Amino acid sequence: MYRLSKLRFGFPIGLLLMLFLDGSISQIFSAHLFRPSATMVSHLVVLWLIAAVLFEDQYDIPIARWAAAAGAIFDLYYTGIFGVYVFIFPLVVYLTRLLVAYISPNFLSGLLIYFIDITVVETLGYLASRMVHLTSMAGSTFLVTTLGPTLALNLALFVVLYFPIRWVYNWLK
Amino acid sequence: MQKFSFNRRLVIIIVCLIVSFALMTVSVAVRNKRSTPPLIQQFGNDIVGLTDRIVALPANGLSGSVSSISELLNTYQENQQLKKQVSELAQTKVRDQTLAKENKQLKQQVKLNDSLTDYSAISAAVITRTPSSWQNQVVINKGSSAGVVKNMPVMSGSGLVGRIAEVNKTNSKVELITDNNDSANRFAVQITTKSGKTVNGVLSGFNADSGQITMNNITTKAKISKGDKVVTSGLGGVTPKGLYVGQVAKASGDDYGLSTKLYITPATDLSDLNIVTVAVTKQ
Repeated sequence: MYRLSKLRFGFPIGLLLMLFLDGSISQIFSAHLFRPSATMVSHLVVLWLIAAVLFEDQYDIPIARWAAAAGAIFDLYYTGIFGVYVFIFPLVVYLTRLLVAYISPNFLSGLLIYFIDITVVETLGYLASRMVHLTSMAGSTFLVTTLGPTLALNLALFVVLYFPIRWVYNWLK
Repeated sequence: MQKFSFNRRLVIIIVCLIVSFALMTVSVAVRNKRSTPPLIQQFGNDIVGLTDRIVALPANGLSGSVSSISELLNTYQENQQLKKQVSELAQTKVRDQTLAKENKQLKQQVKLNDSLTDYSAISAAVITRTPSSWQNQVVINKGSSAGVVKNMPVMSGSGLVGRIAEVNKTNSKVELITDNNDSANRFAVQITTKSGKTVNGVLSGFNADSGQITMNNITTKAKISKGDKVVTSGLGGVTPKGLYVGQVAKASGDDYGLSTKLYITPATDLSDLNIVTVAVTKQ
């Protein structure tokens, strides 16, 4: 099924597009997103990956593999420190697959799942950065200045983009 | 099968963790020690950088046109203020040219070819920014093929904004001075006080809340006052002398009362970078 559908090319292209959009959004809105009191990081890549898990139906997309590839590009091109997101992205996909087995996916439960995923991504990213001395921010400060605003931004993006992305996936099938 | 798969999952998780730690350590070591990343990483980054331009160019162009419309609204006021400044600047520029010429002649007389102040500039456009709260880092569209070398200082507008952290063939990463990791903003700088004394020191960090650069451990007796200009001193490597960093905003004693701590207001708005200049020292 997957091999015959447009998803075979559409999914990776969308993934790359989202990856680059993350960077462009951060660049264009850097004055608004990266304030010391509230840092918001857009995670459109994660949104695309999670949407793939939610909307794949019986099309078995190799999402985890593509997630690892996206993570590798993220690490090498954006951060320069390899070995962080290359593991976090597939982990999040795996986590979502587990959750979807228990909760049937719809708009609201998708929002809940996405909430958990973004928390995992940001927290693990924070722990990794603490370990390699990229930051010395205290855990409580992280919760207030980064995790909270990032969750707010990404959940807002989820609400706005849920139906457009579902339409894209349906068109690709 | 179920029992076995649980154990296997645990093993996979542990192996992944160990591999992740190892990779992170290696890449941080490579980043700190070597002048360029490994060839495969460079190659990959070049390809990704080229593809990124397909997305980044329209996006940046769009934001450029939106901001130019909003700038149009307060053009009139700005124009009046700038006219005044321009007439003063013409005077300074002429004097600057005369001095530069004189300086060149004097240098020829004493047979001094290149001093610390000489540098040439490579201008580059910002392609994208790292979508992460831990690294204030931008990717620019010039790399080693244009002559960019690791650790070169990067300027935007009137002042210093960061340094080159990683060089690929056609793009490179710039760590901004707002980044607070261990190596990002340690520039050797000097301050000329009102009484004409020169104070040397090293930038020590960035205070995100106030948006000011901090400078610790100054033990001089010279009185540093608010408004004194901070420039790079050219000591210790690839940074040329005389790049403008900012103005002293506050001088206070440190926690133990032994040395002075300075707060410096950066010269440029660091949150809005589009075009940057890489300063290349002639060596």
